[in-house]
Amino acid sequence: MTTARTCFNDEATQSAGEDFGKLLRAGDIILLTGRLGAGKTTFTKGIARGLGVTERVTSPTFTMVRQHHCHNQQGIEMLHHGDMYRIESAGEVADLALGELVEENGVAIVEWGELAAEIFGPRAISIHFEVHEDESRTLSAHGDFDEDRRSEFAKWARL
Amino acid sequence: MKVLGIETSCDETAASVVDDQLHVHSSVIESSLDEHRAFGGVVPELAGRAHVMMISSVVERALVEAGLDPHNPAIDAIAVTSGPGLIGSLLVGLAAAKGYALAWGKPFVGVHHLEGHLFAPLLEMPNLPWPMLTLLVSGGHSMLVLQSGPGSHEILGETIDDAAGEAYDKVARWLGLGYPGGPEIDKLAQRGNAKTLQLPKSMTGEGYDLSFSGLKTAVVRATEKQGDLAVEDVAASFQGAVAEQLLRKVRQALEKNEVKALSLAGGVAANSALRQGISKLAEEFGIPALLPSMQMCTDNAAMIAAAGIYRFQHQGASHMNLSANPNWQLVDVS
Repeated sequence: MTTARTCFNDEATQSAGEDFGKLLRAGDIILLTGRLGAGKTTFTKGIARGLGVTERVTSPTFTMVRQHHCHNQQGIEMLHHGDMYRIESAGEVADLALGELVEENGVAIVEWGELAAEIFGPRAISIHFEVHEDESRTLSAHGDFDEDRRSEFAKWARL
Repeated sequence: MKVLGIETSCDETAASVVDDQLHVHSSVIESSLDEHRAFGGVVPELAGRAHVMMISSVVERALVEAGLDPHNPAIDAIAVTSGPGLIGSLLVGLAAAKGYALAWGKPFVGVHHLEGHLFAPLLEMPNLPWPMLTLLVSGGHSMLVLQSGPGSHEILGETIDDAAGEAYDKVARWLGLGYPGGPEIDKLAQRGNAKTLQLPKSMTGEGYDLSFSGLKTAVVRATEKQGDLAVEDVAASFQGAVAEQLLRKVRQALEKNEVKALSLAGGVAANSALRQGISKLAEEFGIPALLPSMQMCTDNAAMIAAAGIYRFQHQGASHMNLSANPNWQLVDVS
């Protein structure tokens, strides 16, 4: 199912992330795609807030993955924030072992997630960021959800 | 006391011998930059592999150039960058350092890469007045650090999103320029008009935190809207805005803190606009400005050896079970 939400500024993008973060479950992998400056890191900051991360979330481009401890009632203890900007092959994505890391009460958010789609395929939730002429952004979330989550994500789009 | 320093946190494989008077006996740097250039950025797997290929010969050269026996060198310790950086790259240097330590029966000490950068200016100008304010800007980090003495640092502010060098690289790739983006944009900016684009002023408040993500997005937006912009003018406008923000924060810090010297560190310290601006500010405040040579700005092992000497003398050797920490925070170094 695909569901979309439009945001008119950075704050709205961050709020969309925060709302999205509250819907996540341990083991989720979220792939973010969209051009430079589309709002991927801003959205991730929102997710982190939704998951109760207290420390600052910055671009992980340099080290490729950053870990943040979470404080929430969702059973999610660790946010793995990855960035594939510098990665050239799917093999290198596999080396980061994000699939294994999220098994221990974690979730993974992957910026520049195009390459990671080859590895995680249908098990991942993907969000594409489209930037419009007037600077608004449409965030289209796509995932293979069960009945319960379908209604939750449909509600997220209407918020 | 003589220390062998080893640095492999990103794409430079480096080794150096430094003594406790901070004299550099040798400093060897091999970069795998040419291999990365084609991809518009450091490719982690390539970097790791390149370190493996180069590490032994780089260490051997550093020892021979320092007049030491490469098979049983008369050194007192080995210092190695154990974080932050790319995990695959860090592990190569760390494993090598542990191997040499075992083979030669010498202690080894893990060093924070950024503490290394903070020691770099001291290698060129050892008799500095303290306290010193350092603007540390690189591809992975951007921060303003107040040091009351060597090894004693307080982070006044740091980037809340992208590092300055990262913004340079991303804007350069967006504009279709080569990697690394800093020198390319710097070169074009000399011929451009910085007033062409009206870029937003970031972080105009009181604090010392920095932000470059908005600037990057503003450049993308402007070039999308106006396809006929001269790349020189875009480069000049972007560089002007980055320098404006950094220098404004340095000025604020100089006004509010007692500072006796001003220094620049990290790869972006090679930037001409920043060097000019820092010199001017130091002159205005009547304090010396330390602008390290290009070799000391970018990643090198002499700075790691220097920081290692300090850590070894104050805290002793690291344990053999020390692991690489790609996300090691400078505030956690004490």
